[in-house]
Amino acid sequence: MTENVIETKGLTVYYGRQRGILNVDLTVQKGEVYGFLGPNGAGKTTTQRVLLDVIRPVSGQAWLFGLDCQKEGVTARQRVGYLPGELNLYENMKAYQFFDTVEAMRGKNGDKSYREAICQRLNLDTGRKIREYSRGNKQKVGVVVAFMNKPNLLILDEPTSGLDPLVQQTVLELVREAKADGRTVFFSSHILSEVQEVCDRVGIIRDGQLVATERVETLIKQQFKRLRLSFATLPPADAFALDGVTETARDEQSVTLEIRENLNGVLRTAVTYHVLDIDTIPVTLEEVFLAYYGGK
Amino acid sequence: MLRLLWQELQFRRNGIIGWGIGISFYAVLYVGLYPSFGDQLALFDMGEMAFYEALGITDMTSFAGYVASTYVNLAPILLSIYAILSGSGTLAGEEDEGKLELMVTLPIPRWQIVTAKALATAVALFLILTIVGLAAAGIFSAIASQVETPVTAVDMFLSALYMWPLVMVVAMISLLMGAYLPNRRTAALAATVIFVGNYFGNSLANMYNALDAIKPLLIFTYYDNAPAVLTEGQAIADIAVLVGISLVLILLAVWAFQRRNITVGAWPWQRAKVV
Repeated sequence: MTENVIETKGLTVYYGRQRGILNVDLTVQKGEVYGFLGPNGAGKTTTQRVLLDVIRPVSGQAWLFGLDCQKEGVTARQRVGYLPGELNLYENMKAYQFFDTVEAMRGKNGDKSYREAICQRLNLDTGRKIREYSRGNKQKVGVVVAFMNKPNLLILDEPTSGLDPLVQQTVLELVREAKADGRTVFFSSHILSEVQEVCDRVGIIRDGQLVATERVETLIKQQFKRLRLSFATLPPADAFALDGVTETARDEQSVTLEIRENLNGVLRTAVTYHVLDIDTIPVTLEEVFLAYYGGK
Repeated sequence: MLRLLWQELQFRRNGIIGWGIGISFYAVLYVGLYPSFGDQLALFDMGEMAFYEALGITDMTSFAGYVASTYVNLAPILLSIYAILSGSGTLAGEEDEGKLELMVTLPIPRWQIVTAKALATAVALFLILTIVGLAAAGIFSAIASQVETPVTAVDMFLSALYMWPLVMVVAMISLLMGAYLPNRRTAALAATVIFVGNYFGNSLANMYNALDAIKPLLIFTYYDNAPAVLTEGQAIADIAVLVGISLVLILLAVWAFQRRNITVGAWPWQRAKVV
């Protein structure tokens, strides 16, 4: 039986009259890396803040490890590592002092060797004051704080923000390692390629509402297929004017089609024009995402 | 919670040293200069001028009266600036700076966060006053041979500690405002208005008997700056009232913070209810 590490039902947040999130129902299972995808202002951070009891919903409920996020939040948060999207640290502290402080507040003496290993991998000099750090180094401090106690659940709000590409890869490796350990990751981002790279499932949030939750590969498959058909003789312009089919490109020998439905119709039409070749062009999550938002 | 308290004290270390030295300088200046113009003050007749009484200046003809009218009267006003800055900065300020979010996501109950911060503020104020008291006792010892007074160095030291209940109330008003209002600026403004209102309300009530009815509502009513307090100390009942007010304010701050959405800056009526 699968265990839900995160569960929300009808979660709704308003900031005064302004919409935060609306009726968000989601589940994240143990050992899963769940990508939470959406543009700025869609409600990603709001959802995470409700899970961590930073803000309270006007209706609905949220659970972590089966524990109510408000009533039993303290117990639940003992097993959570969090990286906020807007990271503000105690500037006068050295990084290692900050780590010690957080561990003291957590009431834990964490595995310092693991902490140091992460710092090394991120190339973070922990002996400097935080105010001397660049934005990227401050983000590394946040990453270390989130991962250092090997929490059962990692809630990461745009974890690679401000990091250079090599360090971004290291963070994604840490996420993969957490998954390999059987830990759960709730990962919000608007960088689709990294979500595609590490996530098992993705939820897409738009205007505060969860509009899709799917396995990454399923989401890509189910949205549309893109075929490039090469012909000996190019078909007329209206040859593929079928329901659910859009011609997106045409050159001297080939036609590129986006097919949401009616694949049979496309193939039947194509064979009548002597098809030389069929290529499937991969659809990226970014394109699926843009399709959702563009109302294609 | 002790670890949290210790951390909070660490965060206040520079403030404790800075304000301790700053207000000590004020105490040393006023007390230390007394021998140079004490004789002239002995001739100073304030008569029945209600204006002086309104400012808390009741007697300048003796060393005890002079110290009560200056150091005992004004040092808590100066320290109240720190109390307001520290109290409003404690929750609202950290929220404005974005530092509170990470703290509330740690496995610490919110009531412990508020309580630890309130206790740290209380200890910080006490330590500042200890520094001030030591400075006042020190400078008094240096000039004692030039002054005829029943006041002792211990009295000077204790007179600083007797300021603690009053400034503690000011700090806790600011803390409550920070827990309730949407940002530090608003919290500090509200606390300042309450503080100034209390001070001038008390001054007016001292001038006009018709305002006697409002006196029990004003915190300065429970802080005596008559010359006798230097040797006899503040009334236990007054201390108890101020400490009681502080405790109620802490409880209200805990209650308000439990209901607060962090990082949002919303007014209380815009917030969701706690389950």
